[in-house]
Amino acid sequence: MIDFYNVYKNYPNGVSALIDTSFHIKKGEFVFLVGSSGAGKTTIIKLISRELLPTKGRVVVLGRNVARLKRRDVPLYRRNIGLVFQDYRLLNDRSVYENIAFALRVIETPGKEIKKKALESLELVGLRNKAKVKPLELSGGEQQRVSLARAIVNKPALIIADEPTGNLDPETSIDIVNLLRVINLRGTTVVMATHDKDVVDRLRKRVIELEGGKVVRDELKGVYRPS
Amino acid sequence: MKIKTWFYFLGEAFKSIYRNGWMSIASVGVVIVTLFLLGSFMILNYNMNFLSEDIKSQIEIVAFVGEDVESSQLDQLEKRISSMPQAEEVDLVSREEALVRLKEQLGEQGHLLEGYEDVESNPLRDSFEIRSSESEEVSALAQEIDSLPGIVKVDYGSEVVDKLFTVTRVINWVGLGFMFALGASAMFLIANTIKLAVYSRRQEIMIMKSVGATDWFIRWPFIIEGLVLGVIGTLVPLAGLYASYQYVVDWVYNNIPFLPLIPPSMVMEDIVKILIVLGVGLGILGSSFSIRRFLKV
Repeated sequence: MIDFYNVYKNYPNGVSALIDTSFHIKKGEFVFLVGSSGAGKTTIIKLISRELLPTKGRVVVLGRNVARLKRRDVPLYRRNIGLVFQDYRLLNDRSVYENIAFALRVIETPGKEIKKKALESLELVGLRNKAKVKPLELSGGEQQRVSLARAIVNKPALIIADEPTGNLDPETSIDIVNLLRVINLRGTTVVMATHDKDVVDRLRKRVIELEGGKVVRDELKGVYRPS
Repeated sequence: MKIKTWFYFLGEAFKSIYRNGWMSIASVGVVIVTLFLLGSFMILNYNMNFLSEDIKSQIEIVAFVGEDVESSQLDQLEKRISSMPQAEEVDLVSREEALVRLKEQLGEQGHLLEGYEDVESNPLRDSFEIRSSESEEVSALAQEIDSLPGIVKVDYGSEVVDKLFTVTRVINWVGLGFMFALGASAMFLIANTIKLAVYSRRQEIMIMKSVGATDWFIRWPFIIEGLVLGVIGTLVPLAGLYASYQYVVDWVYNNIPFLPLIPPSMVMEDIVKILIVLGVGLGILGSSFSIRRFLKV
């Protein structure tokens, strides 16, 4: 599903964010990307979502070499990936339902399907009853659930979450990760970049640890940092 | 794309125009001023052309006869002019007749000429009015007539027309300069409005990109916003020009009946086409400039 072959990423300012990085993630896996700030987690996520292109090496996602995607095919490619961010990225001037519907509308989903899909998605994250509420009236955990609902509404094959629990308290963080696990159990591959030791240690999923742009550990049923 | 999508774009564009109210008003305002000026110049030019055609067709050459020429010599002069191959028609206008014509032209002010009526005090001269067989030959013919003994001055319609055109040309260049500057600032203002619109919707744009909206889906509302600004900026001066030109034409018709003006419906046809093209062009150019610079899709 996601294959990194000897990937290098240098930024114009001279920083080498990734150095000879290789790893392979299979369909249906749940993977934590861990490592300190600047280790290269976000770079990996941006390479997967094709916001960035590798300087060297190959990034193959869903069977496609991302560097070879035509410009006009990039949006269609992104529809296969649900993105979740630390800061939720919700539109605060419209309701929870409108936020989900927006994501469907801008990819030209037929009007009839929008309502059905949006409500289904909100149901899954347990916010069906808050559909008419504005995001800022919700707690942080609820806002992140809205953002999750938006990420999965189009039934993507892959969910990429960049520090989704970064702004949340430990209990709420567990809620969010449990939700990700449910989504994963339904067949969606999940990659989550995180600093959250609690979460990683509790779930015991595959852990890929980065340090200075290199993969230093890739372990099934791993923990945040081996003692 | 589906019709429903276009309605969505249009809705988004209007929302954005409303959100950046003052900026939108400023850019539309400058488009209005620019196109109003352009339209006025076009109307002026059309009328100048119309008027000069009219002048040309009325009289081609007027040759004034010197005061020392005896009236017995006038016949001879007339014959000489008539014998010129390009001269089609030659009429003698005597001083007396000229005075009568002038009096008619002055109308109510005709009494000013009282006291000049007897032969001794008549300040006007005898003259010939000549029509040329071909309009291209007018100036050559005029020169030939001018060289005849006894002819002191030759006026010809094209000369008047040329002067008129010189004046118009100067006005046009100055106007063109103005319009160019205004057009540039109109475009700049539209570009700036769109820039603000892009900025105020950056969160939306970011989300659209991450969920896989196509580049054009993201761009269209902004292009339409520029287009709407341009179109509003066109419709206002069109209505304004039509109404004010109609008013001018009515006024002239009632007060200066001998001054011919083109009827509004005839001028407006061209002006509508040109102004719409320009308004739409300004809008689209302005927004594409900002989209290229600020909308990284």
